[in-house]
Amino acid sequence: MKTVPARAARPIPVKNRNLVTVRNLRRYFPIREGALQRVVGHVRAVDGVSFDVRRGETVGVVGESGCGKTTLGRCINGLLPPTDGGVYFDLGDDEHARLDALTAMPSEARTREQAAELERLDRTHRVDRLRGEAWRSYRRNCQVVFQDAFSSLNPRQLVKDIVGRPLKVYREASGSELMERVVGLLESVGLGRQHLYRYPHQFSGGQRQRISIARALALDPDFIVLDEPTSALDVSVQAQILNLLNDLQRERGLTYLFISHDLGVVRHMSDRIVVMYVGEIVEAGTRDDVFNSPLHPYTEALLEASPELAHDTDRRAGALEGRVPDPARPPQGCRFHTRCPVVTPSCGFEVDDAVRMLEGRGAGLDHLRGVQRRSAFEADLSFDDEEFAGLMVRVLEGPETPAEMREAMIGLTRSGSTVAIRFRDIDRVRLEEIRPAHVTSCILHTGQGLDPGDRHMREKNGG
Amino acid sequence: MLDAARPRVGGHRVRAAAVRLRRFASVGGEVLRNPTTLAGVTIIVAMVGMALLAPVLTEPNVPDPYQMPRDWGALNEPPGTPDHLLGTTQHGGDVLYGIIWGSRTSLRLSLIVVSVTVAIGVIVGSLAGFLGGRVDEVLMRIVDVFLSIPELIFALAIAAVLGPSFGNIILALAAVFWVKYARIIRGQVIHVKQNDYVDAARVIGDSRLNIFVKDVLPNSITPVAVQATLDMGNVVLIGAALSFIGLAEAGLAEWGVLVSQGQAGISAGRWWASTFPGLMVFLWALAFNLVGDGLRDVLDPRTERR
Ligand SMILES: Nc1ncnc2c1ncn2[C@@H]1O[C@H](COP(=O)(O)OP(=O)(O)OP(=O)(O)O)[C@@H](O)[C@H]1O
Ligand code: SF4
Ligand SMILES: [Mg+2]
Repeated sequence: MKTVPARAARPIPVKNRNLVTVRNLRRYFPIREGALQRVVGHVRAVDGVSFDVRRGETVGVVGESGCGKTTLGRCINGLLPPTDGGVYFDLGDDEHARLDALTAMPSEARTREQAAELERLDRTHRVDRLRGEAWRSYRRNCQVVFQDAFSSLNPRQLVKDIVGRPLKVYREASGSELMERVVGLLESVGLGRQHLYRYPHQFSGGQRQRISIARALALDPDFIVLDEPTSALDVSVQAQILNLLNDLQRERGLTYLFISHDLGVVRHMSDRIVVMYVGEIVEAGTRDDVFNSPLHPYTEALLEASPELAHDTDRRAGALEGRVPDPARPPQGCRFHTRCPVVTPSCGFEVDDAVRMLEGRGAGLDHLRGVQRRSAFEADLSFDDEEFAGLMVRVLEGPETPAEMREAMIGLTRSGSTVAIRFRDIDRVRLEEIRPAHVTSCILHTGQGLDPGDRHMREKNGG
Repeated sequence: MLDAARPRVGGHRVRAAAVRLRRFASVGGEVLRNPTTLAGVTIIVAMVGMALLAPVLTEPNVPDPYQMPRDWGALNEPPGTPDHLLGTTQHGGDVLYGIIWGSRTSLRLSLIVVSVTVAIGVIVGSLAGFLGGRVDEVLMRIVDVFLSIPELIFALAIAAVLGPSFGNIILALAAVFWVKYARIIRGQVIHVKQNDYVDAARVIGDSRLNIFVKDVLPNSITPVAVQATLDMGNVVLIGAALSFIGLAEAGLAEWGVLVSQGQAGISAGRWWASTFPGLMVFLWALAFNLVGDGLRDVLDPRTERR
């Protein structure tokens, strides 16, 4: 009988707890106008986002269209350089703690040593700063599957070339070995050898998405960004792809960032949830916390909007009304205050809200000559004549104007045909941990700048 | 698993080549299903055949076969004359000889001009479209300047400045035609590089050059192929126009030159010396335009699913 030789003691590779660390990430797109293409503003697609993705888990990102989910994913994939802040990949546990300490303080408060330390972390882990071997390693380990199964496969390449390409780029295999590995990859996504010599157009949407997944798996990555991977598919096919993704995750110990606007799908897939609204995170927590006891009215409204998930039918939050605000001019205070069903006077009412409200009432804005702003919260509205100015003041003071807005208005005076309007100055809201590992930015929970009387007002109004 | 099911490396190459060939053949088949395209292809095949077989079809003139032979004993002979099937010119040149060797001249002209302009246009246009930014701005400014001058007039000006010779006609046409390709390919490249497969290739970590060669160029090139086919005809048409107004050497076996020199005799009833070569120019341009249109219908990116 043979003795089993003792295994040589191999160092067990230390796996870091956090795979992706997003800190204060901003990505603005310049808006250009005119013949000279001058920059007249910025679309703040992602505007100060921080969260972690831990090894082995799936973080779901939800939010309506235009909230910056794809932009966030593209920054993580290194396809877009950040405007500010950054995405860090595979930080060691100590490094993660150091980064947290360093990024928590304002940059001018850092000592010279601290700045140097941050610079070192940036150079070794921030994805837009990586070079050489570190860059290659990041590239191999951070892959992507896009939503559009038709645009994500080169129509002029055979499947064998599409799936084998990553292996060729890193010279991992060639010749028949390459082909066998491609076959293995195809088999792992439910396709096979018979599909090697076909063009993408010969496949259905679901099969094409499987090819994309096989390509993403080719380098045996740690992490995959799944940007609405099933949104374009039929419901029955959707379920198959989701199950495939779950199986692959289990077999290969993958970590996912799962982007979707479909809450049902996100709940099926995710361990933790990040809710985005106009470029910001408004709530984040474990799946069960976010779905069973949501904190932010936006999350509640999203849940309400998907009937099979609405858990509490007599909740006051109605279906989501209105549209996502223009991310080039995001609302002050809480960005959700333009649509929030439980809005308070402390949530950031501003001049734009008053103008929009007057517009909505058809209140003769043809007679509005101009708006002279001193800040987002303070402006002079000049009208054609005194009569209209007087009318506007009456509307703004009267019952047509929501009580919360009236309450937030701390100045409303008319002199001649000009109406001076002033709202409370409200800071931008910040995320706060309300329950363990469950954060939100809604001031009803954080209490930031919330006037005690306002809370009372909300309750009085039936909250 | 059976060993036979595992083709060797060579087998893989062959199979991939076969698949690509089949695809190419299916495009070809679809193109030829259109009767007008088929007519165009037939004319082109006949003309190119004539050009290739010129030395077999007629005795080449010595010392220079591209010069018209002169038969001083047979000036202005009408078609049907023995030895001069399509008649002779006022200088005793055999019209049939001019047509046969003129097809060589035309083929040479169009091949040189189109390949040179496609090469320049594709390089300039794809650099501009792929790199974008400053490079794009500068290159496209240059293209705009070229575009603002009408083709024929520009070619005429260049040829006039450089002096009358066939080589200069080639140069003039090349200077004019590359701009179109630069514009087409730039637009295509800008459009194609927004596809997710380009980003997927970036995420894989492939080089910019590879991404350009594998992803961007192959998906941008079909409109160029269509335009190149059309231009194979247009070049000969404009080239003939330039020769017609006297920018090529006299005595050259070239259709435009023949039309130009034969037109004087038309009023005297000697129609053949310019009509036959004129017909050739017309047929040549027509044929390539028919094929170009046919290709466009089949390769149109909006309907293409290959
Ligand atoms: N390249 C770009 N240039 C300018 N603006 C952009 C660009 N990419 C995105 N945007 C803008 O940034 C905002 C966020 O877009 P993004 O695609 O990230 O949203 P999303 O949450 O993924 O939406 P969807 O659900 O529609 O995919 C949008 O207002 C969008 O118009
Ligand atoms: S802070 Fe809370 S209550 Fe106020 S608008 Fe935002 S979500 Fe609504
Ligand atoms: Mg998106």
